[in-house]
This record gives sequence, structure tokens and C-alpha cells, in this order.
Amino acid sequence: MATPAAVDVDSPPAAESPAVGARPGGRWWAWLLAAAAAAYFYIAPIMLLDSFQRTLATVFMFAALAQGWNVIGGFTGYPSFGQHAFFGLGGYTVAVLMAKARWSFWPSLPVAIVFGALFALLVGMPVLRLRGHYFAIATLGVAEGLREIVSNLSSITGGGAGITVPAVGALATTKYPGNTAFYYLFLTLAIVSTLIVWVIARSRFGYALRAIHQDEEGAAAMGINTTRAKTAAFMISGAITSTAGALYAFQQVTVYPDNIFSVSEFTVLPVVMAVIGGTGTVLGPLGGGVALAFLSEWLRRHYTDLHIFIFGAIIMVGVIFLPEGAANSLRVIRTRRRLPFLENVRRYRL
Amino acid sequence: MSRFLQATVLGLLEGGLYALIAVGFSLVWGVMNIVNLAHGAFVVIGAYLAWELKEQFGIDPLMGMVVVAATLFVAGYLIQRLLINLVVNAPIWMTLLLTFGLELLLVNAVLFIATANLRHISTDYNTASLVLGEVRVPYGQLIAFGVAIVLTLLLVAFMDRTRTGLAIKSTGMDRGAARLVGINARHIYAVTFGLAAALAAAAGAMVAMARPTFSPGDAGRFTLFSFVISVLGGLGNTWGALAGGLVLGVVQAWGGQYLTGTLVNAIAFGALVLVLIVRPSGLLGKPFYEARVEAA
Repeated sequence: MATPAAVDVDSPPAAESPAVGARPGGRWWAWLLAAAAAAYFYIAPIMLLDSFQRTLATVFMFAALAQGWNVIGGFTGYPSFGQHAFFGLGGYTVAVLMAKARWSFWPSLPVAIVFGALFALLVGMPVLRLRGHYFAIATLGVAEGLREIVSNLSSITGGGAGITVPAVGALATTKYPGNTAFYYLFLTLAIVSTLIVWVIARSRFGYALRAIHQDEEGAAAMGINTTRAKTAAFMISGAITSTAGALYAFQQVTVYPDNIFSVSEFTVLPVVMAVIGGTGTVLGPLGGGVALAFLSEWLRRHYTDLHIFIFGAIIMVGVIFLPEGAANSLRVIRTRRRLPFLENVRRYRL
Repeated sequence: MSRFLQATVLGLLEGGLYALIAVGFSLVWGVMNIVNLAHGAFVVIGAYLAWELKEQFGIDPLMGMVVVAATLFVAGYLIQRLLINLVVNAPIWMTLLLTFGLELLLVNAVLFIATANLRHISTDYNTASLVLGEVRVPYGQLIAFGVAIVLTLLLVAFMDRTRTGLAIKSTGMDRGAARLVGINARHIYAVTFGLAAALAAAAGAMVAMARPTFSPGDAGRFTLFSFVISVLGGLGNTWGALAGGLVLGVVQAWGGQYLTGTLVNAIAFGALVLVLIVRPSGLLGKPFYEARVEAA
């Protein structure tokens, strides 16, 4: 890996990369499909079962989380493995404000979003100086540490026994709005985060992030303030993720540190979704998030004992055969009329 | 004072075991730039195999350890050769995800086969203790500590004095150059991963013997400790892993005396982040390789 030739492996050949070549926004028909799906989902809940609305709400939440990671991991190339810190922070901000300060949900939500962004700023200033694995591990360490702090601050957070949002009865600060409301909230979050990513992808800022991904020194030499761009990307990612966490906490009513700060569910799963869908693309993480969240729910229902086992196998197969994501492989299939799976394996194997 | 001394001794013993858990993880990370999230799963599998050998055939865990390590060496070799080698050159998060998928698969296979019950191996020696004045040293943990130190020293000797060990080191320093002088990198990578899996499995057998209980759910914790220790010690640095393990064990034991609940873990993570930011090459100084681009 020390040879300069091998270093380039980290950034895939230019023609294949989502960053250059193709238009950043994706194809018009993909957008049309996404818009049609969005419209359908806005009208649909009337004809959906209550339990299915709940499943769909989870699916949308994961799509938003995948987009949140996409901003920092996919575009900027900084693989954050501490997204669950933002998720848990957002959730606990809402839960503590509602349960202890007796706020209602709606003013708590923006506070949670701001906290997510501020925490990203605070953590990002030292940690974004690290790269690669070191960045991944440092963010993971921050998140795990935050979980331990939250579990041990019993007076504020309720500790390991969890905290319950006052959502029912006379003491409720905001009445529990029901599954349909959360369906709409998460759907809106998924759409808004995709639109944010779309705006980023077409903006000067987005090009700066991609430049950092491909060659950070080169980007700095081109006059990009890399520190500011990276930090901004991390803050956007943190804000999206903490919004999802805030909604999740209200939806679950009772949250526990071990549940809401789960690294496998709220960090690794979204990363898998973004990677398999296509990092650094606009619609890839959305598609990957929806597809994998559905798959996960379906497996959970039909193979109760073995669903995680099967899911692990699917992740491995996906990583090996779709290392650049479904979005990019679909592009290769369409433009070159051949299946790129073996090509993908050949590119990254030893 | 005696409480403090007791905590220190127990912390050192525990730290030796941590070091044995982490040393393979550190090796794989240092040589191949792979963060193996399935490492804790190997430890758990080692523990269960040792338990199974004891229950089914009455084989003592100290003997069973050899069998378990040999089995996991073969498994690790095949996993690297057939799976991980396929994505070695991909962006780093791909290897993270691949090993994460592997971890899910392995841990849930163990859960499915062996259930989530807490288990323990009991022998006629691991419940007794050696009493030195006011300090009590449990034999089980003492033996595990001794095994950990011996295996770590053997690894150092292997890396420094055998052709294979030197080939592993040179492949880690510069894979391109190593291949130019005729080293089969695919094979060497697989051997490295096999060694790491074997060491993890041996550590698992010791965990099964020395710790009060173990269960499949411990896998994630073992992996996290390995992270912390590898970073503390410097990647691929065997002595560093040993030192990092002992430091972590003692700090946790001391913290346990003065801190409530699980705040000890928060300190471990805080130390991890601090070391990463201030001294990414580890506490013991230079990492195993310096020329590597990713470390910059």
C-alpha cells in the first residue's frame, strides 16, 4: 500500500466514480420514479394497515440515516462509525426535555437538531484531523463513550433503566400522535434529507467534498478550506441523524442507552445501506436504505431465529459483488450492457 | 492499601488476558490495514470450543487450547484466502463492513447452536487461589496470565526469527516490494489472519477458564477492547499490545475501585480518542510501519 500506484486504489478509477463523469443529480427517470413513489407514499397510508405503517416508518428512518452517513462518508470520504452518537443524542435531548423540563415535543425537536450539529462541530474539530481507520475508530470511541456517560448520569437521563417520554395520560406534554403521524414524519425526513443531499451534490460545496474525498491535499491546494468543508459536512450529517433519533425516541416512548446508542443498528446498518446503494450518489443510499430495511424486516418476520445470520451473509455478498454500490453497477449495466460483478471483484481483490 | 494492591494484581492478570485477545487484532490491522470486527467472534468461538471439548471429552482447557487454536488457524486462513482477500484493495469501509457481516454471521451461529446461556469451565484448579499476605491470586487467572505472556513472547520470536514471520513483516511494510522479491502476498495475508484467529481462539479458551462466565454477547466487547489496546500500543506492535493490555486492565481495575457503574468504560474510550488525536502512533512510540500512507 506504500507504493503510490496502490494508493489510488482508494479512489476508484475516474470513469467509474460517481464523483465525475455522470451528472451529479442522477437520471431524470430515477427522479421521476422517486417523486412518484414519494407522492404515492403520501397518499398511501389511508389504505395501509397500522402495523405496516410502522414498518414503513422504520424503513424511511433508515433511508434518512443512510443519507446522513452519505454526506460525511460517501461524499467527503470520512467513514464515520459514530453516527449512533448523534442518533442517541437527538433521542435523549427530546426525551430529557420532555420528561424533565416538561417541554412539548415540537420545541424540543429543533433543539435536538441543533445539538446534533453542535456535537458534530465539537467532536469534528479534533477528530476530523484523522483519516481512514483512525477517523472511524475515533468516532466510534466518542459514541461509545457518550453512551457510557448517558448510562451513568442517572439523575438527568435515568441511567440504564431508561427514560420515558410523557406522551400519554394527564401528564403528557405532547399527546402520542399515533403510527400514521410517525409515518409522515419519517417519510418527510427521508425526502428532506435526500433533497439536502441533492442540493449538496449540485453545489460548489458538494464539489469541494468530492475533491476532499479524492485528494485532500490537492483540494487544499485548489483553495478549498478543507477543514471548514469537512466540518460542515459532519454537522449536516449529525443534524440529519439526530433528527431521526429525536423522532425515534418519541415514537418508542421509552428509550434505553443500550438501545438508542446501538452501533450495529444505527451506525453499521445505515453504512451498509449507503454502501450497497451507492455512496456519493443522491438516490443510491435512499434505494439501499429502503431495500435493506424491508429485507431486514421481512427476514425478522420469516426467519426469527436466523434473521441476523442471514443478514450478515447478505452484507458479505453485497460488499463483495457491489463494492461501489447498486447505483454505479446499474449505470455500468446500462451503458456497457454487461454485468460488472466479476469486474468489481477483480478490481479490489489481492 | 491492601484493597488497592489486590485491585492492581487482579487488573494486571486481567490485562494479560486482554493483551492476548488484542495481539492478533493488532497484527492484522498493522500488516493488512484491516480492522477485523469479527475478532471478538473468534474469541467467543474459541471459548465455546474449549467448553465443548471439556464437556464432551473431558479435555482440560490448557490442552484443549491447542486443538482450538489449530482449528481456528485453518478457519482463519480460509476466511482470509477466500473472502477478505477479495476486498483487500477496496475503500476501507468495505473491509469493515465485510468483517462486520462475518461477525453477525459467526456470533449468531454460536447463539443458534449453543444458546445465549452464560457458561463457565470448571477444573479442579481454577477455583482455588494463591494467598500472598493480604493479596489473593486466583490460580485460573494466574495460569491464563502466564499463557498470555508465553504466547505473546512466542509471537514476537516467530515474527523476528522465522522466514514466514519476516515475510509477514515485510508484506506489511511494503506489499509491492514484498511481491517483487517473491513473497506470495495472498498466502502470507492468509497466514497472518490464521495466526490472529488462532491467538484469539487461544485467548477464548483462557477466557472460558479464567473468567467467571462467558456468552456470545461478549464478542463485541472483546473487539472494542482490542481496538483500544491496539491503538494504545501502536498497530502491529506486539510489545505495544502487551503493554496496552496491561495498562487497560490496571486502569479498569483502579477505576472500578473509585467509579460507580460502567464509567470505567467511558474512561477507556476517552483514553482511546485522546491517544488517537494526540499520538496516533501509539504510546510506545513508532508504529510497526511508518511508510504506510493511511497512517498519515
